[in-house]
Amino acid sequence: MNCLDFRRQLLADPFSKDPEMLEHEAECDSCAPFARDVRAQEVRLRSALRAISPPEGMVERIQLAARFDQGSSSRRRWWYGAAASVLMAIAVSMVSLFSTSIDRGNVALAQSVINHIEDEAHHLREARPVSDARLHRVFERFGAALTGDIGQVTFAAECLMRDRTGVHLVLPGAMGPITVFFMPGEATESSLPVRSARFQGSIVPTSWGSIAVVGEAGESLEGFGERLAAAVAWPQHGLADSSGFFGGSLLLARRLAQKQDS
Amino acid sequence: MASIRTDFDTLVNALSPELYRYAMGLCHNPATAEDLVQETFLRGWRSRDDLRDIKATRAWLYTILRNEHARLYERQRPEARDPAELPDVPVRGYDTSAEAFVVRRALGRIDADYRDPLLLQVVGGFSCKEIGEMLDMNTNTVLTRLFRARKALRELLADQSLLEATQ
Repeated sequence: MNCLDFRRQLLADPFSKDPEMLEHEAECDSCAPFARDVRAQEVRLRSALRAISPPEGMVERIQLAARFDQGSSSRRRWWYGAAASVLMAIAVSMVSLFSTSIDRGNVALAQSVINHIEDEAHHLREARPVSDARLHRVFERFGAALTGDIGQVTFAAECLMRDRTGVHLVLPGAMGPITVFFMPGEATESSLPVRSARFQGSIVPTSWGSIAVVGEAGESLEGFGERLAAAVAWPQHGLADSSGFFGGSLLLARRLAQKQDS
Repeated sequence: MASIRTDFDTLVNALSPELYRYAMGLCHNPATAEDLVQETFLRGWRSRDDLRDIKATRAWLYTILRNEHARLYERQRPEARDPAELPDVPVRGYDTSAEAFVVRRALGRIDADYRDPLLLQVVGGFSCKEIGEMLDMNTNTVLTRLFRARKALRELLADQSLLEATQ
């Protein structure tokens, strides 16, 4: 499979499990980040559509309308069969979805952290310290507050991790820059290792999600995630607020929405 | 009869949210979308004796809704709201968040021939083969339309990001 075929098929079905596509993605350095970008956009699309729910009372109005409708029926069991088959299909889909998610969730999160750092490696080269005002503003977007000293920060921004937004920081370390992701809603039961040829670190669970701390190989990160967790007050209601899907462009989009609204 | 009604109610409860989302994707008007969903279920109720394959119920209801929407456009052009339009006061049933706003606006600008298969895939979760059967086209054509729909969506969203970045 060449890159053109891969991209055509990817855009037709971003979550395809076609073995040829998966093989190409694993081997092609230019198509892999493209695939991640396409899937992130697909998550945004699905989220935007799923956020639409029927107006209050619509179901009752339909049911009432049917009661007044005088259509005849001789096949009394039809709706029973139809309803049962639909509910069964939904149940099977949900079981399949959740089992797949549970199997791959932790691995996917750790890999997403590595992918994110590698895709945005230019942030690791930032040398100037970020102002305290900016640092506080980034957390305030999530209703969170920086309550302790976390040391010098050279990059701070809202970012997209999988299908949620969080806080992306870069701090200087002994072996090189250390990347930190505050990931509200990304719950893990225990600490997870994060590792690649160049980077190493862990994902630490918190009451509101998790924190990923990743540095260059050899960096001492023992207890670093826990110290960061203690330095930030993250409200529980922040979980719902963080499930947006527009990463860095979220605020710009909000501004545009406000303009349209005014 | 009471049993049939109960089963019908179960079906309405299970499927009306996704059919409403599909209708909103087609017409971008909450009132029209509700009418389409209601008419779909009523037609389903009246035509229940004609359906042989109960496994196809879900696809069948989507097809009814799509045909109802097409018929509506033949009779009159309903007041289609700009999908970017945001209510002054957030109301239940329509997410007003900025990211959803931008995506829905872009979706509303895609050619209907491309948007329809995309909605069936994203909202309905139908396979390309099933979409082909519903739209009476072969699977390769469905794949091409899905490709073009997402390509157009990416271009529209990229233009949007560029516009925002320069403001």
